[in-house]
Amino acid sequence: MRSGTHIVAAWKRMDWLTAASMFALVVVGILFIFSASHQDDAQLSELTQRQIVWALAGIAVFFGAVAMDYRSAGRVAWAVYAGCIVLLLLLFVIGKKVHGATSWMSLFGIQLQPSELAKLGTILLLARFLSEPARDVAHLRSLGIALALVGLPFLLILQQPDFGTASTLLPLALAMLFVAGLPLRYIAIVAIVGAMAAVPGWFLLDDYQRERVLVFFDPGRDPRGTGWNSIQSGIAVGSGGWTGKGYMMGTQNILGFLPRTVAPTDFIFSVIAEETGFVGSAVLLLLFAVLLAGCIRAALASRDKFGRLLAVGVAALLFFHVFVNMAMTVGLVPITGLPLPLVSYGGSFMICTMAGLGLVQSVYARRFRR
Amino acid sequence: MKRNRPFDDEFLRVRVVLAVMMLFFLVLGGRLWHVQVTRGPSFEQDQLKQSLRRVRLPGVRGRLFDRHGEIVADNRPSYTVSIYLEELRQPGKWEKTINRVEALVQELEGVLGVPASLSREEIRTHIHRRLPLPLVAWRDLGPEAVARFAEQAGRKPGVEIQAESVRVYPFKRAAAHALGYVGRADIEQNEEEPYHYYLPEVAGRSGLEKVLDPYLRGEEGGRLLRVDATGYRRYDFKQREPQPGRDVMLTMDMRIQQIAERVLGEDAGSVVVLDPRNGDVLALASNPGFDPNEFVPSIPARLWETLNTDERAPMLNRAVAGGYAPGSTFKTVTALAGLESGRCDPNEHHNCPGYFQLGRATFRCWYHAGHGSIPLRRAIEQSCNIYFFHMGLEIGQPRLHEMATRMGLGAKTGIDLDFEIAGLVPDDRWKRRTQNDAWRDGDTCNVSIGQGALVVTPLQMASLTSVIANGGKLYRPRLVRGVREFGDGPFSQQPPEVVRDMNWDPAHIQLVREGMRDVVNGTRGTARRVALPGISIAGKTGTAEFGRKDERKRHAWMIAFAPFDAPRYAVALLVDEGISGGETAAPRMRELMRGIFEADDSEARG
Repeated sequence: MRSGTHIVAAWKRMDWLTAASMFALVVVGILFIFSASHQDDAQLSELTQRQIVWALAGIAVFFGAVAMDYRSAGRVAWAVYAGCIVLLLLLFVIGKKVHGATSWMSLFGIQLQPSELAKLGTILLLARFLSEPARDVAHLRSLGIALALVGLPFLLILQQPDFGTASTLLPLALAMLFVAGLPLRYIAIVAIVGAMAAVPGWFLLDDYQRERVLVFFDPGRDPRGTGWNSIQSGIAVGSGGWTGKGYMMGTQNILGFLPRTVAPTDFIFSVIAEETGFVGSAVLLLLFAVLLAGCIRAALASRDKFGRLLAVGVAALLFFHVFVNMAMTVGLVPITGLPLPLVSYGGSFMICTMAGLGLVQSVYARRFRR
Repeated sequence: MKRNRPFDDEFLRVRVVLAVMMLFFLVLGGRLWHVQVTRGPSFEQDQLKQSLRRVRLPGVRGRLFDRHGEIVADNRPSYTVSIYLEELRQPGKWEKTINRVEALVQELEGVLGVPASLSREEIRTHIHRRLPLPLVAWRDLGPEAVARFAEQAGRKPGVEIQAESVRVYPFKRAAAHALGYVGRADIEQNEEEPYHYYLPEVAGRSGLEKVLDPYLRGEEGGRLLRVDATGYRRYDFKQREPQPGRDVMLTMDMRIQQIAERVLGEDAGSVVVLDPRNGDVLALASNPGFDPNEFVPSIPARLWETLNTDERAPMLNRAVAGGYAPGSTFKTVTALAGLESGRCDPNEHHNCPGYFQLGRATFRCWYHAGHGSIPLRRAIEQSCNIYFFHMGLEIGQPRLHEMATRMGLGAKTGIDLDFEIAGLVPDDRWKRRTQNDAWRDGDTCNVSIGQGALVVTPLQMASLTSVIANGGKLYRPRLVRGVREFGDGPFSQQPPEVVRDMNWDPAHIQLVREGMRDVVNGTRGTARRVALPGISIAGKTGTAEFGRKDERKRHAWMIAFAPFDAPRYAVALLVDEGISGGETAAPRMRELMRGIFEADDSEARG
């Protein structure tokens, strides 16, 4: 009974504005996945049906996470992290190769992407590690351990190979280390080292990755091949104009110029931008801004450092996804396979995002408790 | 809550994180503004360009009718079996789809019993160049094949039988040269809005089909298609209906045309029948000919080769493009020139001993025994050369030339047909230019009897006959009677065009006409065998030598008009190689006149 009242109290103390924008984004996602996967019949496409199921599951996970005290999540952080690493290692054994990357596995009949879980696991453990009493990130040994905690899943994901997902770990680690008090000179060093690493890194990239980068600077390089998605998503977003072509009227999508395989997933924003125009894109951007501000609000309101780092980590992860996903459609960054949080089709990422946001809400809901 | 410095620092850093994120969002928002609002229209253009396809729809061609409303050039549906490659699309490489199409074609060849002759390369080209358009595999299938298709393959996916509009000439070979034929032509492309897909246009290639093409040709329509990324047709965007061409009523009378062709039989030659009251071309025959139906939908290469290398020149429209010496039919011109000059008295007699001495040269009359002393009217009736030598020399070359030219020789008549030639009425200047020699009296003698360098066409001679028949009005021979919008409304009526009024002395023209009546009806006329009971016909025969003298080749001419008092028909009849006008042309003229008046009677009664 007592825990029951705690749960209800936690829900009541949630940040409902942030939650509302989260729900709105989920609904937008379902609507436009329907638009992007709509065939001639009026029925809900299979993709839409599955996304609804994922959304419902995600919402359940979200409320569960809100109800749970985030500190109990902190207590099991090492176990979660270890579990994630085991799953990532298991991929080498039972992983399935899809589109050139071994990032999927089937576990107890469930299809899942361990790299999505690993992002959350890494945030959780990093937040716990950095918030340990007397932990000083200026201390090289602590910094070294922290970097190793991020580096392990990073390298494992890179081996799949999934450069996009692996890269999401870097900004969140940077943001969390920064908030944890990383001296500015270290950040300067990271920037310099990063720039220097870019040159040899170029030669470490696979051919297709190098091609993507080249195409980014010159989309006409191979319009029917690698540059196709870049050009077509640009046309889709651009031809949306002020107010778009109307819901379900996006010709780029209907006519298959935006490939059907990526329109509901990585390129869902192109569909939204084409059908709703600049007005729609701006509203979408605003919803994400509210969501991220909500996470930061939770970080500021958090009663402890663990909660603060947790919220910042989740915010940084989501921010990176949102920015890269939207920016690639308008040619600001190269094409990468990063989905748009809450909106793109996909179960693992949906549930992980909801879990992360639930934990952030849990931080916020427990702001005054002692 | 107590706050120490590091804590403050931590909150500040959290705010910095938010600020950085919002800064990136602002950049993203600005970029979206740039792409969607500033550059939106240009992306919109790119989008249309890659997804819109223009398809050209041909307009139905107007029809040709004869003066009684008989259709002489019509459109008929031609059954075409087409394959829709989009519907047969196989996943994976296009080669798989091509395999599937080939298998289907083979199967259908079995059903139809007609080979398709579609190469793999043609299928591939079609896929790349005009995927949303049907690939035509069989054209112009016969009724049995159409029936078999409907029975056995009517519901196969990706195959469809369609009716395409093609030209048909119900009178087959009749009037083929005048009507001409159509062929496939490439279309005109508008550079701003080019058609992506089109079928070759049907265009007039020769004859009336060519000359009247601006009337007959329909106005193209168009359809805008939306295609998807793989070139599949998704839906029609907009359509502009094609407009059919206009119907044209000709002056020709297909009954007379068919009689004219019948009298020529197997012989090379030409017949032109005009209405002297207005210049209407009632018949325009040229033999040998061709069947323009065999040129539809396209001319078989071998047939074309045969037709164009045949010595008898079946593609030549002799009526307007065949140049011949007029022979004695030209004596009518000499007679009129003489009378009109005022220097010749029709009652003056000239003696014909059968030859004519001009300096050291001797010119012969065709009647070697000589006609004796005769006046002009007898000279026309008996076609005496000697009389016309005297007359020609009396008036001189310039007057002869002027009369011939005024009567329409040496210039195009201006009929609505292609390839018309002007012919030639020689004069001093011409001779100096071509032979570097001065005009001599011998030349005048030759021209006076229609020999020498004179070149005329059967149409010119028919027109000349018409002027004599109507007493002096030269009409432009016309083939078009009226035009109307496609359908069954009334035709517009075009007025006849008078080119020139001769202003002849009525006594002079009457004398020539009577001389011509004697040719048919006189006791010594050269064309007595033309005479028909109940119809008063007047005419003039001609026999023109050509080629080497020892070959003795002769064009056999006869010009005639009837009825004598109020002529409705003026005819020029030519047989390329004959014995003489009287023997070769005259019997055919009789046959033609009888046919014409029989048809006339039945019309009057009916």
